[in-house]
Amino acid sequence: MSFSITINGQVHKTDVDGDMPLLWFLRDTLELTGTKYSCGMGICGSCTIHLDDEAVRSCITTVSEADGKKVTTIEGLSKDGSHPLQIAWLKNNVSQCGYCQPGQIMTAAEFLVQNPEPSTEEINDALEDNICRCGTYIRIRKAVADAAEQMKEA
Amino acid sequence: MSASRKEMNTFSRREFLKASGLSAGGLMIGISLPLGVLGSMDSAGFEPNAFVHIDKNGVTTIYCGRCEMGQGISTALPAAVADELEADWARVKVLQGDADKKYGPQATGGSRSINLMFEPMRKAGAAGKEMLIAAAAQTWKIPAEKCYAKSHAVFNHLDDRSLQYGDLVAVASSLPVPEEPVLKTRDQFRYIGKPLQRHDQRDMAVGERIYGADKKLPGMKYAAIRHVPVLGGSVKSVDKTAALAMKGVVDVVEIPRFDKPFGSIGGVAVVADNTWIAEQALAKLKIEFEAGKNGSYDTVEYKKQLVRNVEAPAKSEFEKGSLDQAFEDAAVKHKATYTGGHLSHSPMEPMASLVWVQKDKCEIWASTQDPVSIQTTIGAYLDRKPEDITVHVMMAGGAFGRKFKCDYVQEAAACSKAVGAPVQMTWSREEDTRTGFYHSCSAQHIEASVDEKGKLTGWLHRAAFPPIASLFNPAVVQPSAGDLDAVSKHPYGIENMRVESGMAPVHTRIGWYRSVYAIFYGFAINVFTDELAHKAGVDSLQFFRNIYANNKNPDQAEQVKRSLGVLNKAAEMAEWGKKLPANQGMGISVHHSFESYVSMIAHVEVDGDDITVHRVDCAVDCGLVLNPDIATAQMEGAIIMGLGLAMNTEIRFKNGAVVNSNFHDYPVLSISETPTEINVSFVGQDYRPTGLGEPGVPTTAPALANALFAATGKRYRSLPIKPA
Repeated sequence: MSFSITINGQVHKTDVDGDMPLLWFLRDTLELTGTKYSCGMGICGSCTIHLDDEAVRSCITTVSEADGKKVTTIEGLSKDGSHPLQIAWLKNNVSQCGYCQPGQIMTAAEFLVQNPEPSTEEINDALEDNICRCGTYIRIRKAVADAAEQMKEA
Repeated sequence: MSASRKEMNTFSRREFLKASGLSAGGLMIGISLPLGVLGSMDSAGFEPNAFVHIDKNGVTTIYCGRCEMGQGISTALPAAVADELEADWARVKVLQGDADKKYGPQATGGSRSINLMFEPMRKAGAAGKEMLIAAAAQTWKIPAEKCYAKSHAVFNHLDDRSLQYGDLVAVASSLPVPEEPVLKTRDQFRYIGKPLQRHDQRDMAVGERIYGADKKLPGMKYAAIRHVPVLGGSVKSVDKTAALAMKGVVDVVEIPRFDKPFGSIGGVAVVADNTWIAEQALAKLKIEFEAGKNGSYDTVEYKKQLVRNVEAPAKSEFEKGSLDQAFEDAAVKHKATYTGGHLSHSPMEPMASLVWVQKDKCEIWASTQDPVSIQTTIGAYLDRKPEDITVHVMMAGGAFGRKFKCDYVQEAAACSKAVGAPVQMTWSREEDTRTGFYHSCSAQHIEASVDEKGKLTGWLHRAAFPPIASLFNPAVVQPSAGDLDAVSKHPYGIENMRVESGMAPVHTRIGWYRSVYAIFYGFAINVFTDELAHKAGVDSLQFFRNIYANNKNPDQAEQVKRSLGVLNKAAEMAEWGKKLPANQGMGISVHHSFESYVSMIAHVEVDGDDITVHRVDCAVDCGLVLNPDIATAQMEGAIIMGLGLAMNTEIRFKNGAVVNSNFHDYPVLSISETPTEINVSFVGQDYRPTGLGEPGVPTTAPALANALFAATGKRYRSLPIKPA
């Protein structure tokens, strides 16, 4: 069985076990390490990627589920770190250890497409299952709101 | 565990600068300090040294010897070097130093990085600047006094010539290193005290920052591990057949307990072509464990026993005045008992490292807080000299004290040795949760007296918790006098005191968790003080103020002043005393730890079982703040961690093993539980810089608990408030 997945615009053909979580295929096989492992059961959000433009947890999404689909990881979110969220992350100096932040940004990126003018409560709801142990939540909220503002103006 | 001011002075005086050397066409400056001057929070020794490297093009590399785990130290300290060096930050590259004595103390904990390294790092920069100035003076044949450095170049007061730093490195390298370089005065600071952006913010936002879990090597293998669940237990039998039959499995490696303080608790690992196969194979192992002597550890029962141990007379470790007399003369007396649970650090990046054990060398890439203890531990494990173990310090995806211990590195070393290839081991979240070096669970009992004038006159404090010393010496079964210092030497300065230590034999591995014992001391002392205030019928803020004001001990005058400074600032920020709706309340706390002072006021609303923290106002006195933005972020993070442990998290043991497994049953704080507003102010900046990473944690839980009382009239004396 062979799978074909378009990852950050590049087609990857593979014959790994279809049950392999996309997370480990990205990290260990393709060495795309921006997507992080943290809980392995889809509850912390560190491994969030986009599968056909939908934010999913790559630790509980298999390679076979991604077959024929388009995957975007933090490395492919923008060419040069120019996504409004990435700019807002820098403007607000959000990251501390930074380990959860690719997942936060990927979750927020899909959310802002769905909801371009979110309230604070809606931002909280959208990122409720993205854990940050350093406690950068105040700045995450601010950065998501800033990015929404930027995207509206653009 | 904190360096006193006296030690700091000794440190400065005895410090000397080492001869420079020309390396790779650049100027290198190191500073070296005598061994052991500073004392240590662990057994590893200290021998400081920091580096500046400037190449012929002026590209300046500043090495950070302290470990980066998100606290921003690899920006704050190098920026201080650049400031004194008069380097242009835009032309500075920061590199993380490998484990090496030349970088000085690298064990990164105890909120000590800036406290210890601010002056030496500045001197490294200042020495470089003086040499570059001397080099320019020699080139121009004019006195050095007529020259000055500014933004990566040397100028002079006589004419309009200037020389770029890169043009001066060859001459500068041949000059002697000044022994006592002159440091800038504060008004001359260019970067110190400014909100300089961290050098790695961009890398983190685009997924390019490389953590210990991310490092790759050609031909590497991946490992997963299942640990012995009970401390002192062992693997009785393991059936490897099914696992070894799996495609992609390289080996199954049994790892016995390594009886060193930071050694492996023991377990069975699978080495495979990728992490997923390793985890799958691990699940197919049939392992039978032997529980051993800690097999009946049950934290529900254990905490009940701790309470009994502190509600009866215990071992007196400190006494002053006459407590009996104070209690006899009391107008108001009060007593209460407080408890807290074990905590797991649970950094988002679980324990991870990549290790390559070869015949004549061993190379390690690890997310770590203590690369030197990796050298000693792995050296002992492999029977090699510590200096033969190369440790590359990787960015840690959070640490909070856990990555001080290198059991996970030793396990990866065992796997690499077994299969003869580089092996990266990443613990699963479940193993991370269940195989910790936990924050002590605790019980404290306090009795106190207030006289008819409202003065706090007597304080009896009994504490029982399994101490960290038990990790190094299992014969330790209760807190030492030093472990009780936070009470005995508290800036309250109460005239009549007795401090007692209750029995607390250990049944698991205890370690440093962000702010350590200050978590439960800060909680009990602040909540009890609030209780006393209410019982005495005095406003809490006023009651706190009175206690400090009544401390006339000249040796504690500075502590009193600074405690009052943060207390008053927090009160002003929060508008203490303003009218609030019936189900809302404010709670106050103040605590001195890691040589710094923090006061917080939490403003909460309670609706049935729902607790909403609207706002936390936080005043900090950690002396000079090197980078106000990073410092503010540290306090925000400490408050979030403090709220999590106050409300939600506890590690529970049953039958000797941890019951929790992942973030669903160890629910660290989420964004929706985060206060709407956190305000941070820094006062006392005339003092020298002291600890910042930890002191924000201890004040959070008591501010919350006191606010909940103000809102509801219910006292919370046991953490967490909402057990899972």
